[in-house]
Amino acid sequence: MKTNNNKAGKIILEVVLVILSLLFLYPLFLTIINSLKSFSEVMTDVIALPKHLTFSNYSYVWKFINYPRLFLNNFVITGVGLLGIVFISSIAAYKLARTKSRWSGVLYFLCIMPMLIPFQSIMLTVLQTAKNLNLSESTWGLGLLYWGFGAPLAVFIYHGFVKGIPTEIDESATIDGASGFRLFFSVIFPLLKSVTTTIVIIDVMWIWNDFLLPLLMVNGSPDTKTLTLAAYTFVGQYTSDWQYAMTAMVMAVLPSIVVFIFLQKYIVKGVVAGAVKG
Amino acid sequence: MLKTLGRRWREKFEFGIFTLPVLICIAVAFYIPFAMTIRYSMTKWNGISKHPKFVGLDNFKQIFSGDTNFSDAAWFTIKYAILYIVIVNVLAILLAVLLDMKLKSTSWLRAAFFIPYILSLVIVGFIWKFIFMQGFNSLGESTGWAIFDLSWLGTPGLAFISILGVSIWQSIGFYLVIYIAGLQSVPEDLKEAATVDGAGPMRRFFSITLPLLAPSITISVFMALTNSIKVFDVILSLTGGGPGGTTYSIAYDIYRDTFQNNLYGYGTAKALILFLAVLVVTIIQLTVFKRREVEA
Repeated sequence: MKTNNNKAGKIILEVVLVILSLLFLYPLFLTIINSLKSFSEVMTDVIALPKHLTFSNYSYVWKFINYPRLFLNNFVITGVGLLGIVFISSIAAYKLARTKSRWSGVLYFLCIMPMLIPFQSIMLTVLQTAKNLNLSESTWGLGLLYWGFGAPLAVFIYHGFVKGIPTEIDESATIDGASGFRLFFSVIFPLLKSVTTTIVIIDVMWIWNDFLLPLLMVNGSPDTKTLTLAAYTFVGQYTSDWQYAMTAMVMAVLPSIVVFIFLQKYIVKGVVAGAVKG
Repeated sequence: MLKTLGRRWREKFEFGIFTLPVLICIAVAFYIPFAMTIRYSMTKWNGISKHPKFVGLDNFKQIFSGDTNFSDAAWFTIKYAILYIVIVNVLAILLAVLLDMKLKSTSWLRAAFFIPYILSLVIVGFIWKFIFMQGFNSLGESTGWAIFDLSWLGTPGLAFISILGVSIWQSIGFYLVIYIAGLQSVPEDLKEAATVDGAGPMRRFFSITLPLLAPSITISVFMALTNSIKVFDVILSLTGGGPGGTTYSIAYDIYRDTFQNNLYGYGTAKALILFLAVLVVTIIQLTVFKRREVEA
């Protein structure tokens, strides 16, 4: 009797939660259907389904913002950023965790302290530093800048993980004749795979979607814009053409959603691991 | 003797090779700009003239002695941060408890609530602007509910609630995931023992689950705190600070002073105050919450 009650309760709870989640995603559904309507249809009825699917919005926005170019920009910035963050943070965190000296403690603190500095506190001077180093106005330069911004969290997470790897592994590899980079890349780095996945996931979501840094750095030139930035300026120029605005939104977020659907399991795990360690 | 000396030098050399790249990058991204921020905060500078004029602590005096933009923005940020931290954490814990029960659609539901978190906040702001401005019209017509006829972005109080609601909508999935992970580490036998001792579901939740969830709460509150103090993107695209400048946050106020009003020195002085506030508040939060954690 009791289990029957429990079962019925669970089904009701489940139905309620499913309805709740659909309501939760309703704004995204509205965005998609309105990107498939003509201007007059958007103006007369937002919640109705499109009478006939209009894909012309997509071809218009595709050409207008030069979508392939923007996609490539995002790809270069995120790729350059990620490779650098993973490389410089993993080698540094490894050395800092393995060296027992006052210096390594001080340097570790200097590496992770910036996590407490809000970006808005330094945005003007970051822009100037980047200009002085010729890093602004280029996708490669922007990618390079992310190395420093992503490093504190990455060093922190790698450092915590390396401490859990027994030093005997280093010692036996050294006896076998490996040292320096050889030891790190053929023995240690493969052991860090799960942390690297976590860091890659957290940083892809952040760099791909970042807004303020690209706004300050590459806003001026259309060749270096990112997807989010283009959507932002596009909507700013066409505030009343909501059908184009919604299309630009869909096109800007589509890559993230596709990646999320394929890597869902790893993304959720990665976020948990990163947050719990961070 | 010579051999050990050689080895020590080689170790030092290797230490340098491994750690120098990260130190240079962090210095370029944080320490050099931070030092420049401290210097600029004591100058009057419009960004054009070659030499910023040194004015000592004048900027700070001016900010504290009657900059209503700053005090309004500070007040907005404090209200927003407190409400955001409380609401997002309470809702996420409730939802996590429901989703921790073994339902058939659990993994689908978790993904559904997480999806807005993978979108950029600027885009989230625009999507909701569209819904508040256009979508609510249609919804009002078809349902007849008065709630859809309110001007959600045009009235100061409501615009505040809109920003808060949209931020919570975007990020709740993130906190949800952290709490679900936390709940899974609460040992089953403790709950069972409590049931045997006659504790009801409410009592079990408040006396066992919640205290053991403390580490997750510490992390989530820390994240919610640092993120809410820096709120910027969503306001920029949702209200643009309006109506009547009532929804400027501190971060937005700094952005406006530096990049729109060209008050470079004055803006960086505000930026420095923001940094100190974040530092003090997060240190207090972490020490207070860490002390309350218990071991399972």
